[in-house]
Amino acid sequence: MELQECKPIVEMKNIVKVYLDGTVALRGVDFDVCPGEVHALLGENGAGKTTLMKILAGVLKPTSGEIVLEGKHVRFSSSADALSKGIGMVHQHPALVPVFTAYENIVLGAYRPGARAEIEKLMEETGLKVPLDAPVESLPLGIQQKVEILKMLYRRVKVLILDEPTTNLSPLETRELFRVLRSLRSRGAAIVFISHKLREVLEVADRITVLRKGVKVGTVSAEEATPTLLAKMMVGREVEMVVSKPRVALGEELLVVRDLWVRSDLGTWAVKGVSFSVRAGEIFGIAGVEGNGQKELVEAISGLRRAEKGKIVIGGIDVTNKHPLEVYAAGLAHIPEDRQRYGLVLEMTVAENAILGVQRSPRFQQPPIMKIKWSEVFSHAREIIKNFNVQVPGLTAKAKTLSGGNQQKLVVGRELTKKPRVLLAVNPTRGLDVAATEYIQNLLASLKEKGIAILLVSSNLDEVLQLSDRVAVIYEGEFMGVARPEELTEELLGLMMGGYSLDKAREVLSRKTT
Amino acid sequence: MGLEKISGVFERIIPLADVLVAIAVGFVASGALMEVGGYNALEAFRSLFEYSFLDTYYLSSTLSFAAPIMLTALTFAVGVRAGVFNIGAEGQLYLGALGAVLVAAFHLPGFLYFPLGLALGVGFAVASAAVAGILKAKRGVNEVVSTIMLNWIAFWIVEYMRTYQIADPHDPSKTIPVPPQARLPLLISGTELSAAIIIAIAFVIATYYILWHTVIGYEIRATGLNPDAARYAGIRVDRSILASFIVGGVAAGLAGFLEVTGRPPHYAITTGLSNLLGLGFDGITVSLMGLNHPLAIIPASIFVAALKVGARGMQIEAGVPLEMVKAVQGIIIISLAAPGLIRTIQARRRAKLVEEVKPVAG
Amino acid sequence: MPVEALSQLAEIARLTTFSMTPLLLAAIGEIITELAGVVNIGLEGIMLLAGFAAVAAAEAWGPLAGLLAGVLVGTLIGLLHGWISVYLKGDQIISGLGINIFALGFVAFGIEALWGVRGYYTPPPEAKVPRIPGLGVSPTFIAAIVIALVSYYVLYKTGIGLKIRAVGEKPDAAESVGVHVERVQLAATVAGAALSGLAGAFLSIDWLAAITKELPAGRGFIALAIVNFANWNPILALAGSGLFGFFWTLGEWVKNIGTIKAVIPIPLLNTIPYVATLVVTAGLIGKSRPPAHIGRPYRRE
Repeated sequence: MELQECKPIVEMKNIVKVYLDGTVALRGVDFDVCPGEVHALLGENGAGKTTLMKILAGVLKPTSGEIVLEGKHVRFSSSADALSKGIGMVHQHPALVPVFTAYENIVLGAYRPGARAEIEKLMEETGLKVPLDAPVESLPLGIQQKVEILKMLYRRVKVLILDEPTTNLSPLETRELFRVLRSLRSRGAAIVFISHKLREVLEVADRITVLRKGVKVGTVSAEEATPTLLAKMMVGREVEMVVSKPRVALGEELLVVRDLWVRSDLGTWAVKGVSFSVRAGEIFGIAGVEGNGQKELVEAISGLRRAEKGKIVIGGIDVTNKHPLEVYAAGLAHIPEDRQRYGLVLEMTVAENAILGVQRSPRFQQPPIMKIKWSEVFSHAREIIKNFNVQVPGLTAKAKTLSGGNQQKLVVGRELTKKPRVLLAVNPTRGLDVAATEYIQNLLASLKEKGIAILLVSSNLDEVLQLSDRVAVIYEGEFMGVARPEELTEELLGLMMGGYSLDKAREVLSRKTT
Repeated sequence: MGLEKISGVFERIIPLADVLVAIAVGFVASGALMEVGGYNALEAFRSLFEYSFLDTYYLSSTLSFAAPIMLTALTFAVGVRAGVFNIGAEGQLYLGALGAVLVAAFHLPGFLYFPLGLALGVGFAVASAAVAGILKAKRGVNEVVSTIMLNWIAFWIVEYMRTYQIADPHDPSKTIPVPPQARLPLLISGTELSAAIIIAIAFVIATYYILWHTVIGYEIRATGLNPDAARYAGIRVDRSILASFIVGGVAAGLAGFLEVTGRPPHYAITTGLSNLLGLGFDGITVSLMGLNHPLAIIPASIFVAALKVGARGMQIEAGVPLEMVKAVQGIIIISLAAPGLIRTIQARRRAKLVEEVKPVAG
Repeated sequence: MPVEALSQLAEIARLTTFSMTPLLLAAIGEIITELAGVVNIGLEGIMLLAGFAAVAAAEAWGPLAGLLAGVLVGTLIGLLHGWISVYLKGDQIISGLGINIFALGFVAFGIEALWGVRGYYTPPPEAKVPRIPGLGVSPTFIAAIVIALVSYYVLYKTGIGLKIRAVGEKPDAAESVGVHVERVQLAATVAGAALSGLAGAFLSIDWLAAITKELPAGRGFIALAIVNFANWNPILALAGSGLFGFFWTLGEWVKNIGTIKAVIPIPLLNTIPYVATLVVTAGLIGKSRPPAHIGRPYRRE
């Protein structure tokens, strides 16, 4: 399906990226973009889209491969270097100084006399209207993005890269952005549009390149692309890890969430009226591209973030807006998304980390001065290490000396040893090697037999599909639908993660077959 | 287990090397300053050593100075463990001393002076510490600014008490002395060394025990090392911070109390608080040199106390103003602020190696 | 009576121009430094060292040389603190503490080494910065006001100011458009320390005309509080320094009023500036907003 009708302004050839920790992000990817086109880069989380573009924008250095800009081989020393050579990237989190005004952000480091008039002219020509004198933090993300684009245009970039630009935009803002992109295209700009949203890609792109797990799946023209084709290219799976999924008779509802509304740190609604329940012996999976409200949902359930509206019940006890310790006491265990930041105190020992969160339990301390009963702590730690097969240099070694997999096993072991009724697991296998991943996944599956209700939040589709009894897809703080994994084809999932409700997605697919 | 022990030893040796390097930098730089100032630096350092260790009397002086500063070091160290910079030991120490002499103004049964003075002194100190702690935990007030302000307030309050309320009628340059019943016994008669050192060491060990062997200490350390994880574990971070201020206040108050109840010949507070001045700030040096660990603070306090005592010798023999040792302390602290120059270089070399090896993995 | 009251007010105002000047200079300096993301709590020590150098230089070459010597000492300490904070990625608080403690020892040592007296030295009158005739205020005060206004202009109205503030708010964003983060931070640290140096020189050869190791008397830390109070704005720092300077003057002023002195003894009146600082800081906090990336060394991913 290769097609080549235009003359690329920049070409990336055989790009390989290996991170310092050994993760291979890109395995020899080719990419190019032409003046006057919008080239979409499509793929799931972790497919390598952002890494590839960060290399083009000089933020990351490729392990190998070359970049040819306007016929010349180039090597960027920094993003500022790439920017000065005409390649600019608008990141997912805007690289703007929040307290600065739009104008200040645009001219930062590149002030020239007459800047203001120049920017006003640019706004006029492109239709990128922003209030120049408002601090950007007071502006909606859609406007902030326009500021970023203006910043790039003011610096006269030839290649403009946009990383998931519509993630935090309303449909109206998205439409506005697309209008601007088309206008820029007509002025001869080369635009790269990174996205996982099929609909949008189909709407705005001229060409579409799909990446999966660091490999380029193919490039198709907008005319030949269909949602079904793209979803399949994007999600299509290789060898599957086999996890035995025991069939368990479901028990009572142990976790009930009703009409939950939660705000993000920015004060916008991150979770918009989500309702679900998880029963004893069931794994309820929440799939979705990251940043669609998962973090806020999880924090609200565990008492770490205010629920503005709605109700959370664990094992029959109303825990809405209760202190985390009360929530844990009601029977919740929490495997947090970032073990190093939230799950462990890296500078403390393995034994000390083994009691984090249960340090006040009578088993581990003795009144009146709450002396820590080390023999109990050590035997508890030893128990975790043995039961969960954690490889440690010793109980008094600092947690930071463990490998990522063993750190995670320590956290998982600690949480499960609390004998929870409800387990909240967030991306439990992120960054783990195959063996550790398999171990954790099998462990979660086996917990069903113990009558634990598990809420699995993961951006890893394979994981969610293989482990869950029911799967919800979350998109912009709302469930697009709940279904059994067998019902969910790759195409359906791809569509739902891209913002189609389950019924809508079914309709699209049935239209295609008939 | 064996391997882990060895790696643990290395982990401790590297920071120890940092401290030794800092001490070396401190002496070399201050030696240079002395030479520039027209003094004989080698002579100065020789007499510094001689007058701090090489004689029973001086050695006992060194140990008796170690007592208050290991306690004020503890104030700083417990703060750092909870993630705050509590530099209020100086003022809290004045208040602790005030408590000890204040009770002497009243007619009480003899046996009451010691416990009441202790309670009063430590109580004053804790009150001051609690102000900073509450302002930090509840209002987010920068503890560096608040504790320095509280230090000055304590200074003038104690100065006021000294001149207006509890001045010694026979010798207006100091307060009324601590009554004999409340004085700590001397360990070696004819020296300055009293039981204060024993109490101080016991308190330091007790604090070590609290920090590493009780749940309160565990929560304080978790808060200081990773407040996010502490919060996820249901620890009330603001309470842990407040607790660290309270423990620090007790230590500093005790230091001031011991300094007047256990230090001949005055057993009182002297003009301009001259016998107390700086003991709180010395604790910062001690704590940093002891890597903010209570047990390592004990030897570090003896080192800094030796500097203080030996400084007199330096002045007598080499004519160097005794304040020079404070400059040495400052240089040591500045050197410790840029941690592990050695480690930074090592880490950079290691990162380079990884990068060179990596392409093979791709 | 009203005439006398007015003249008394005028006198308080005149005295406040002195007490606010060191606070203002140090606070402006710290604002510049902190806006670039570096904290320097060694202001107190810089003032002391600079005050010492100023006396020595003024005695030899006159008051102008003294002021310059203060600035030079500030610059050198700023380079040291900047190097440790910015390039060695060291601990900014500990470095500042070290500067303060070093200064206490070094100046006490220096006074004795240089002049052979213990603890306190008064420079000869010809080393003193003269007052502006007719007004009775110091030229350094005028300079401080000008510096505050210029700093405000540079920090908030020019491209240089944009770079400085960008580095302290979001260094990665600044770097992505080609700002040299480390260089800007070092320069801001040096500039800030130089102003503290001028503050120290003002104390020792202009206002108080003496050098002791108690010269700064907590002013370095009050300046830190003013930075918070002023929400990192030099114009508000001007107001803050006026307020805290007024408290300082007030403490001194009431000592001369017989009736008050009889009720509240002098040592307690001395606590006024510190209590005021504590109260104002506690009341105001939460409304100010520090630069987002303050106090942490910038590390690239």
